[in-house]
Amino acid sequence: MPDARTLAIRKEVTVDAPLETAFRVFTREIGSWWPLPTHSVFTDRARSVEMEPWAGGHIVETSEAGEQSVWGTLTAWEPPHRVSFSWHPGRGPETAQEVEVTFAPRGDGTLVRLVHTGWEKLGDAAEEQVRSYDGGWDHVLTRFVEASQR
Amino acid sequence: MTYAQALTALADPTRREILERLRAGECAVGELARGLPVSRPAVSQHLRVLKEARLVAERRQGTRNLYRLDGAGIGELRAYLDGFWGEVLMAFKDAAEQTAKGGKRDARRTHTGHP
Repeated sequence: MPDARTLAIRKEVTVDAPLETAFRVFTREIGSWWPLPTHSVFTDRARSVEMEPWAGGHIVETSEAGEQSVWGTLTAWEPPHRVSFSWHPGRGPETAQEVEVTFAPRGDGTLVRLVHTGWEKLGDAAEEQVRSYDGGWDHVLTRFVEASQR
Repeated sequence: MTYAQALTALADPTRREILERLRAGECAVGELARGLPVSRPAVSQHLRVLKEARLVAERRQGTRNLYRLDGAGIGELRAYLDGFWGEVLMAFKDAAEQTAKGGKRDARRTHTGHP
């Protein structure tokens, strides 16, 4: 849900998997689960996405024709606790925002938190809109539930 | 990925400065240009980009055009990004849990054909 203080996008999910597994699947194995047809630059022509597992490494999507699109560059690589990267899929790196993903043990599983920052300048307008968008958030949450039951 | 236009518009320092000024309230182009290190036509051009990206809205008052932040457009951008990462995390959760269980899966098929 929105954070009124920084207006970042904040999401979290608890995963029934050990810390190391969760981190590895999110990073080195990103190509095995990222929903490419709907969440990519090449959409239905997308073939794969890879994360180069080191600071300075790229997140790169490749199309069926072999074209490549760099989504971002790793700014922190701290297995198995934290990875952060610049984020500019389909845009130039000068337009990048920042995404940080952290992993922490939670019971037998792992709590994964994602924060997307870089557009806080929109400040008050966004905050005001968030308050008036309660219906919108309900709709979004319904979609999450549907997605999780697929 | 959609909303690239809004996110690109947001990345320019002058446009960010314009947005920052509009947080204080509605403003005409002349007032916006004052104090910015760019010409008035350049400010107008930036405003056009921000309007097309639905970050800024415009209305006419007498002979002047007044600009303000487009709360609806900004809210949709937020909702889009929130939904985007929610769906990504759900797909990730599914994959991590199947991996932890040691189940075999064909991940490329798992997510093909979604709308």
